[in-house]
Amino acid sequence: MANYKVTFNHKAEPVVVKSGTLITEAARLAGIEINQPCGGQGRCGRCVVQVTEGKVRQRSTLRLSSEDIGLGYCLACQSVIEGDLSVLVPEQEKVERRLVTDRTAVEVEPLPGYSPEYHQSLRRYFLDIAQPNYEDQTDDLSRLQKHLRVALGFEQVEIPVTLIKKISSAFREGNWQVTVYLDISSGEDGISLIRLVDIVPHHCENDNPIWGAAIDIGTTTVTLWLVDLWTGFVHAQVSEYNAQIRRGEDVISRIIYADKEGGLQELQQLIVGTINQLVELACKRVKDYTVTPEQILKVTVAANTTMMHLFLGVPPSYIRLAPFIPTFNQAPLVRAQEIGLHVNPNAIVDCLPGVASYVGADITAGVLSAGVDDTDKLTLFLDVGTNGEMVLGSKEWLVTCACSAGPAFEGAGVRDGMRATTGAIEEVWIHSETYEPTYRVIGGGKPHGICGSGLISLLAELFMTGVIDKAGNLNTSLSTPRIREGEHGMEYVVAWGKETVHGRDIAITRVDIDNLLRAKAAIYAGFIVLAQSVGVPLEETEQVLIGGSFGKYLNIEKSIQIGLLPDLPWEKFNFLGNTAVKGAYFALLSQENRERIREIASKMTYIELSADNTFYEAFMSAMFLPHTDINRFPSVMEAIQSVKVPIQS
Amino acid sequence: MALSGIQIYKLLPQTNCKECGFPTCLAFAMKLAAKQVELSACPYVSEESKAQLEESSAPPIRLITLKSDGYEVKAGNEVVMYRHEKTFYNKPGLFVKIKTSAPEGDVKTLAQRIQEYRVNYVGIELEVDGIAVEDDANNPERMKATINAVRSMSKKPLMLFSRSASSLEAGLPQLSGETPLIGCADSENWEKYAELAKQSKTALAVIADSVDGLAELTEKAKSKGVEDLVLVPEGKNLGHELILQTQIRRLALKANYRAVGYPTLVFCQNQAQMAQSIAKYAGFIVIDQFAEELIYPLLVLRQNIYTDPQKPIQVQPGLYEINNPQPTDPVLVTTNFSITYFSVANEVEGSGLPAHLLVADAEGMSVLTAWAAGKFDAERIAKAVKAANLDEKMTRKRLVLPGAVAVLSGEVEAELPGWEIRVGPREAVDIPKFYKQVLLVN
Amino acid sequence: MRTITLGALPAEGGTRKRVVTVGGETAMPFMRFEGEIPNPPVVAIEIKDRKPEDWSPLLIETWEDVIDDPAKWAAAAEAAGADLIVLALSLPNRNGEPTTPDEAVASVKAVLSATGLPLIVFGPGQAEADNTLLVAVSEATKGERLALGICEDKNYRTIVATAMANGHLVTARTPMDVNLAKQLNILISDMGLPLDRILMDPTTGALGYGIEYGFSVMERLRLAALQGDKMTQLPMIVTPGFEAWKAKESKVGEGVPKAWGDWLNRAINWETLTAMTLVESGADIVVLRHPESLKRVKSAIDELMAAKAFVS
Repeated sequence: MANYKVTFNHKAEPVVVKSGTLITEAARLAGIEINQPCGGQGRCGRCVVQVTEGKVRQRSTLRLSSEDIGLGYCLACQSVIEGDLSVLVPEQEKVERRLVTDRTAVEVEPLPGYSPEYHQSLRRYFLDIAQPNYEDQTDDLSRLQKHLRVALGFEQVEIPVTLIKKISSAFREGNWQVTVYLDISSGEDGISLIRLVDIVPHHCENDNPIWGAAIDIGTTTVTLWLVDLWTGFVHAQVSEYNAQIRRGEDVISRIIYADKEGGLQELQQLIVGTINQLVELACKRVKDYTVTPEQILKVTVAANTTMMHLFLGVPPSYIRLAPFIPTFNQAPLVRAQEIGLHVNPNAIVDCLPGVASYVGADITAGVLSAGVDDTDKLTLFLDVGTNGEMVLGSKEWLVTCACSAGPAFEGAGVRDGMRATTGAIEEVWIHSETYEPTYRVIGGGKPHGICGSGLISLLAELFMTGVIDKAGNLNTSLSTPRIREGEHGMEYVVAWGKETVHGRDIAITRVDIDNLLRAKAAIYAGFIVLAQSVGVPLEETEQVLIGGSFGKYLNIEKSIQIGLLPDLPWEKFNFLGNTAVKGAYFALLSQENRERIREIASKMTYIELSADNTFYEAFMSAMFLPHTDINRFPSVMEAIQSVKVPIQS
Repeated sequence: MALSGIQIYKLLPQTNCKECGFPTCLAFAMKLAAKQVELSACPYVSEESKAQLEESSAPPIRLITLKSDGYEVKAGNEVVMYRHEKTFYNKPGLFVKIKTSAPEGDVKTLAQRIQEYRVNYVGIELEVDGIAVEDDANNPERMKATINAVRSMSKKPLMLFSRSASSLEAGLPQLSGETPLIGCADSENWEKYAELAKQSKTALAVIADSVDGLAELTEKAKSKGVEDLVLVPEGKNLGHELILQTQIRRLALKANYRAVGYPTLVFCQNQAQMAQSIAKYAGFIVIDQFAEELIYPLLVLRQNIYTDPQKPIQVQPGLYEINNPQPTDPVLVTTNFSITYFSVANEVEGSGLPAHLLVADAEGMSVLTAWAAGKFDAERIAKAVKAANLDEKMTRKRLVLPGAVAVLSGEVEAELPGWEIRVGPREAVDIPKFYKQVLLVN
Repeated sequence: MRTITLGALPAEGGTRKRVVTVGGETAMPFMRFEGEIPNPPVVAIEIKDRKPEDWSPLLIETWEDVIDDPAKWAAAAEAAGADLIVLALSLPNRNGEPTTPDEAVASVKAVLSATGLPLIVFGPGQAEADNTLLVAVSEATKGERLALGICEDKNYRTIVATAMANGHLVTARTPMDVNLAKQLNILISDMGLPLDRILMDPTTGALGYGIEYGFSVMERLRLAALQGDKMTQLPMIVTPGFEAWKAKESKVGEGVPKAWGDWLNRAINWETLTAMTLVESGADIVVLRHPESLKRVKSAIDELMAAKAFVS
């Protein structure tokens, strides 16, 4: 097979590749970064490059205009090299940073009645070691083991080689006084396995902090809380985008990427890299102490099942294939060094248990922190991100399901959609006679696009003013220039080019509306299926608890108007923020809570939506504004009757 | 009455021990409610709960099985009035009538045709279930001879109908070791027929023109020790028959009225009656004519009505021609999820542009879902191309993939040498534009 | 179920010699012992404004003498016993050019003068053509109380508006789904067209091609209607003729398995069984293509309606 030379950006040495190689692959070999948010599936059009010399075979020209194609633009992930090439890679947009710690920091009350001696599995003990002499020739390791047995009553303690190396110097440097850290977590079968986590010279101050971290690995965002395990106090809260985003925005894309050669390893390194950065950042943020990553002795992790697999470097391939069986729901404890985490190399990493491929430890942890498993009230708990996971139940029983709502509410998959960052339209109002919109932009400047909450608000306004009908069709008979035929069918212009950052019109298309309808219908259908599975009317729900970062920006009234949330009195809704990291924090502190999460995972009944067509039925029924069965939305029915619905004359 | 998952859950130990094979007691309870598992899978259920659960799960319509050497036909065990509520389980047994007055040669020919009839429908072999011997000659000797003639050609299960018990007595010894159905017992002859059924361990058909009449007969037959009963509601016309069938099913299911908790049998004379009996509750259907052009659509109708409606709504995988395409026109690929198919087909149809729509078997999932679940990959697409024999049919080999699975283009290229693989738009609504701007241009 | 009348007598502003009333049921199909079935299901024959190219040769042969003239065809259909006529307009006319509004109007008028039966007019099934042709037809036949179709969720406004303005009805078609059917009814009635001027067509596959979905969707619509859901209480029109004659079993006579039997009888059985199954599940208007199927279905409906005599 022929080899070809590919030159990137004029300057670099050409790389030599086989005929048939993709441009993305050649770029990787040349060490040039090309973003592929869709994971190289040819879906997002973000990997566009310009071929200035030579010819490629384009498998797909999706999202490129014929003009673009004429200028040599092509999708790097869909273009096959069939000759020598010269390629220009445009400057890659950096993922915008909005996750400023201060903005996401939340007040956390330490667990009431927290007592490290009673609750904490990570224990600190001060030992006075009997010095050896000519009579007592016991080796240092045996000496330590004997002390652990006699002074503390621990018969079997696992001591890794890396710590054996530290024993002798710790004894002598501390003048035969040492501090040891032991983890006494009970295993799945209730039998305690004692693990030595660290040994340091001297007795430290009794109230010195013991550092631990609670982490939530989201598909999009990773959050870490740095905690003093002695007091239970949270000293720093930091978050950052998951660096895996450039290899795919959703879990499916990542799973597929992981199946590629070297993909799994790369994704594992990316996520561990993100966490390591967060660890350093968090340590710097602590005000009252100097903390180094090596002082962190215990890490508790919540994550969806795919992220947990990738975090541990376990192939996630079978998660996406029917009948959707993950390699594990509950991983054993590991040591930090096994997975490359830059905390204390022997720190205990506790991955919380999940329920199924699409209901992971982030949900079990969320259920714990939201207290769903401990309430008499019939509770609907929901965590909306790219996937909508939800739990219905109380302390008697819990049912759960996950529906792929798609990323529309995160602003993706919508033409002018964007994340909730500066420049995003976050709320829209439409005049009911002129059909002219007014909008609010995050940061107050010119708009760049529309974020999830803006889309929900926009959809509700379009519907309530009759700009779209209940099926989402734009009413072409209205006299307003804002409804027009666009490239993808009919659309409604929210902002004219002269008002926007980039000078282009910001509009919502018929296709976007369909995507939003699908997303909201999937979530509402999930509620219905859960309620049906146990034979409880959804309307009997006594409280709705909403977790995930999404919740913070959600307007309940508009969400009910479009039929995303059930039509319940507003006071029944409660936003809890990141319930997953909070659950991880609870489990990090207390063995009782850790045990509760295990119980939650074991008692939660997972409803697989693809098992029969009840979900499909519920989904089709919800693919309408607000719903085909308007009786489910009495407040919206009332509101519609009070506004006039324009009809064609 | 059937219990809901939560009601059953409350009767279970609630220990989530997982020994039944399900992750939680609630999951097991839901499966029990759906009748997809047996209670015996739970080793810890209390005797008290067991009694309660078994009471609620006894089948309201008795399962009747007719047997012969190597064949079996089942009817009964139905649990719903409308198939969408769950599903209909046992397809009505289709029996063709042979008369004892017919010459032996004719009997043999017909029996052979019935025995050999086989037709393929979407990969399933369909056949007739059995033969009903009607003693129109009212002659024990003819009964015996006809049965022997039938048995020389066909081993399928039999039904024997006669106005005189002596004909049945003459016929039954020919069928030792089998479970045929005999009938029809009415208010006058029931005693003799019931005795015969009990002795020869056959199923017994009882006939009456009202629900009460049927109930009275089953009670009597039961008192004689006959358990396997089949009801023949004798309607005065099509409408009356429909009402009787509906009332019987409803009383059995909703009122738990055991006296009519048996499958029914209909003697059909025309297509309307056959369609009605298949759609509305017959357990057995006896038709008095054998013609391929009638048997085939009846078998298909029966297959359709008894399809499990809980499965996702699918269209038949295969090649669909839209707007009279030529072998040079493009092949568009999509999945067999009905909504996906309809949206693509409607767009192409509406555009007036000719195309071959290749529907791949993706187990009824939409394009992205199927792709994510590994049910719509290069291998499956290639398989669909081969199954439709497109390599030979098409003179220009152009395959258009849905935009959502652009990622597959390389693999499909590898699987289908000689084909030009194009990536279409993500949304069906953009197909006409794509067709005009891309496919028509080159 | 709502009662809907198709066609208008001279006294009502139309020219029909008879009208057809459907709907009004208060029970599941033919359950006369527990409710009213005031109007029997009716059978329509589908004709085209020109000789159809893609119909089965068996049908072409059957209607041979009248197939080039919609007026004669309509009269023949009436003679065959049809309760009403469905006229389906073609996309290209006789000369292969798009049918013009004038041509469509002429065809409709010719049919109206050739028969006294009520008429349903279907557009060619392409949004733009449907809208232009049906608006012209609607305006030219003001007051006739035709049913105009087909309204679909992506294209209903124009047809509904013209039907509303000219005193016609509409047929609303959705692809075999209870929710979609109900949604379209809501959208149409939101425009202001009264519910007793909407016929719903839930779409049905032919026997062997998904009839079970149509069957269950219709049963569910009827059940929902009986439970008081206003948006599903509309009489149902279905097109088993179109569906059954599209099937290979009816269309193709050669190179098929021997187990399929005689072609003509098979085709008629296919249409009859498809139609009867739908009548059993609640169809109010069945649209057929072959006169023999019509005969069989009508006689079966008579027999189904006769049950009253035996029920107290």
